[in-house]
Amino acid sequence: MISGLRGIIDRLSRQRGVRASLIVSEHDGLVVDSSLRFGEGENGERVAALAASIYRKARLSADAAHLGAVSFLQLDADRGRLCAVGRDDLVLVVVAEPSANVGLIRVELFKALETIA
Amino acid sequence: MNVAAVESWIEAPLRRYVDDARARIAVLLHPSGQVMAQAGFTRDVDVMAACALAAAAHATSGELGRRLDGHPFRGVHYAGATHQLFLSALETRRGTYLCLTVFDETSSLGLVRLYCEELRRALISAAPNAITARPTPTLAADFEVELNRNLAALFSGPKGAAVIS
Repeated sequence: MISGLRGIIDRLSRQRGVRASLIVSEHDGLVVDSSLRFGEGENGERVAALAASIYRKARLSADAAHLGAVSFLQLDADRGRLCAVGRDDLVLVVVAEPSANVGLIRVELFKALETIA
Repeated sequence: MNVAAVESWIEAPLRRYVDDARARIAVLLHPSGQVMAQAGFTRDVDVMAACALAAAAHATSGELGRRLDGHPFRGVHYAGATHQLFLSALETRRGTYLCLTVFDETSSLGLVRLYCEELRRALISAAPNAITARPTPTLAADFEVELNRNLAALFSGPKGAAVIS
């Protein structure tokens, strides 16, 4: 399973414009595995904790609004975007540059979800 | 949530920490067990017990870390059925503080760890005379007097019953 998660991280990180990819525990907000290009490990831990929190809130909001499960979460910012998908307790998070192809990232994220199902 | 501090400069950083980390209870104390600030408790006896147990847990984990890793462990996490606990040592220029945090499913260990580090930075920034003013030495002869004074400063109002507000 661990090697499988490493493969997921590697595939996500190979996408053009991807600066970081992380597998995070939604419950704990802790990094399960990651590949970071934007700095030191502390940044990865910050991204993991906050992204897991955002994803959980999105999931709970969708549930409260009777919208069903969250399929894909995208957060656009000035200097890039954050994409996330989740299943069970795992959240796959990608931090990408503004020029990154979100469509491709989305496809890879869903493929990765199938892998960990 | 009610936040009370023995020294006023601690109150704002702790209040922000409790809000950001969505903590149910937070206690800032010296490793000796002397309380410096608290949020979430309504009875002084609960704070006193929490501080004594947190100081003991910190001493135990620190010694375990020294024996196993050569350095004291800096954080301890316990996961209960509905509540979790994170005990962290915050190194500041005024010395070491312990932060005991209780949280539930509205927060996470990752968030608590993240904001614990921010609390440490905020305490360093907020501390008056950061280098010269040292905390009271641990296990001083007047420990009990200090403890009672601190508890009295935190709980000047009527005593309640609930542990988690």
